[in-house]
Amino acid sequence: MKYYRNLSISQKQVVWAWTFLALPVLFYVVIRFAPTANAILLSFQKWNLLGAREWVGLDNYVKLYNDPVFWKVFRNTFVYLILGTPASLVISFFIAYHLDKTRFLHSTLRALYFLPFLTSTVAMAWVWRWFYQPVPIGLFNNFIASMGFQQIAFLNSTTNALPAILVPAVWAGLGFQIIIFMAGLRAIPTSYYEAARIDGVSNWTTLWEITLPLLKPTIVFLVVFSSISFLRIFDQVFNMTTNNPGGPLNSTKPLVLMIYQTAFSSFDMGYAAAQTVVLFAVLLTVSLVQLRLMRDR
Amino acid sequence: MATVSLRNLVKAYGKTEVLHAISLDVADGEFVVFVGPSGCGKSTTLRMIAGLEEVSAGEIWIGDRAVNHLEPKDRNIAMVFQNYAIYPHMTVRKNIGFGLRTSKLSKPDRNRRIDEVAAILSMTDYLERKPAQLSGGQRQRVAIGRAMVRDPAVFLFDEPLSNLDAQLRTQMRLEIKKLHQRVGTTVIFVTHDQVEAMTMADRIVIMKDGSIQQVGTPAEVFHQPANIFVAQFIGAPSMNMLPARYAGGQISVAGQSIKATLPLPDGSDLTVGIRPDDLLVSAEPALFAGIVSVLEPLGSETLAHIDIGGRDLIATADGRSPPAVGARVHLAADTANLHFFAPTGEAVR
Repeated sequence: MKYYRNLSISQKQVVWAWTFLALPVLFYVVIRFAPTANAILLSFQKWNLLGAREWVGLDNYVKLYNDPVFWKVFRNTFVYLILGTPASLVISFFIAYHLDKTRFLHSTLRALYFLPFLTSTVAMAWVWRWFYQPVPIGLFNNFIASMGFQQIAFLNSTTNALPAILVPAVWAGLGFQIIIFMAGLRAIPTSYYEAARIDGVSNWTTLWEITLPLLKPTIVFLVVFSSISFLRIFDQVFNMTTNNPGGPLNSTKPLVLMIYQTAFSSFDMGYAAAQTVVLFAVLLTVSLVQLRLMRDR
Repeated sequence: MATVSLRNLVKAYGKTEVLHAISLDVADGEFVVFVGPSGCGKSTTLRMIAGLEEVSAGEIWIGDRAVNHLEPKDRNIAMVFQNYAIYPHMTVRKNIGFGLRTSKLSKPDRNRRIDEVAAILSMTDYLERKPAQLSGGQRQRVAIGRAMVRDPAVFLFDEPLSNLDAQLRTQMRLEIKKLHQRVGTTVIFVTHDQVEAMTMADRIVIMKDGSIQQVGTPAEVFHQPANIFVAQFIGAPSMNMLPARYAGGQISVAGQSIKATLPLPDGSDLTVGIRPDDLLVSAEPALFAGIVSVLEPLGSETLAHIDIGGRDLIATADGRSPPAVGARVHLAADTANLHFFAPTGEAVR
């Protein structure tokens, strides 16, 4: 105590700062950094979860490179990203833009759009799974059949399954994106729009030349955020294809699901870790590229 | 260029009427300043002229057209906003040119017009910059430039100087006034600052609680205020007010009698107003006497707060040899400079 009392004010501040920082630092080291480092280390080893770890060098990566399933899965992951991110951004902006101008039942509508975000993904996935079932169970196919069309194999077709899973994934994320877009829209001073009204420019010009450029920070955030979530997609796929996860014929399998199966069905921990490292590298690259592309020139 | 005419203009939000049938005629080329405390309806009036707020009742005429149902863009007006409303992601040139988007000018003509305006505002060297690289005063000029570029019939200014620091405000005040003298367009300017109103206006419109209190030249509203509100709102420090009584051709105020003939019934109460500038600290016995309680030196003069038997008056003393705090002094005033107000608040002369 006497020692503490003799410290200068800035030294005391340092003591306090580190006292408060100790907990998060400990958390990050134990829960985040150590496992990450361990996973990277593990990707150069062979381990079945029980036996001893065995050093294998780059074998896991070579195996990954020569694995056709990995490339299929890699492609799927990017399809989720490339279709999901733009679709969810455009739809959520469109809704937010119009909801922002709606006074009638504004809060109720906003709450309704936000609701899916609060719902458990598993529950949602199972409800959508039911929607997609063939006649006489599935909602969509019952409707299609009642209109006299041939029913569609949503989840049982290698071409339709991935988009069919993507739709609820996009829908589930809308609520959050709408809220963020609306906050961004609200932050634009109304005098910008009033000045534009006095200048007499069209609504279209106002949208493209005022609203969207001023919304850029929001858009950058949502692009990065939504890209990361689509690259990490798992629960929708796993729950909608439980009897054959990632199927049919791996057509819906994303990277995270492959990692899960390699680790906890095949118990090939080293191989799974190598896949994790690849996912990490992809996420990092995509995020950095997006941030760079969308940074202010 | 155009006249602007407000005819029994009313604004109501639901059942709450915020503007009570105001009427005003602004001459072509006139610089009119709306001034009043916040919430008096001055900005609402301006926004109604601009077409940004709906008119609840009454008419707005710009030139020879009633514009109640015209879109802002069709009213041939331009507006400068308090926060300037210049777009941060566009260069100065694009900002100024934004108002020309809908014009039928060719591209070279547009650029020529932008250059002209920039030259008038001495912003030529800054045309390729973004607003973030400009000072407050320069941003203000961009906002004015955007308004000027379309050559509107009427300029509307909504408290454009209130985001500037004191020194810049004085400078921009002068610049806007000069600009008006040069281009001669009708200007309607809204402010809560009475000094701005006094220094810039051809005519001042003083508003309170959604009604016009007085319309007049700066000299008129200063020297002949229509009521107590105007008298106290215009001029700083505020006019001294003393309760008084009028009987038999005499006004008795603070123990003194002043000869006066007022159009008031005998024995009526009234309020006597004296501007601090007209109430001078003097050594010889004069109108009032009292004790100096506080001094506020301003350099060229000193404001002296004088306690005359429980009432605090602000008087002007010499800047070089002010009285001491606690000293007993006399206060002299020319009775011709006194203002009289009936109990209703209206001026009586």
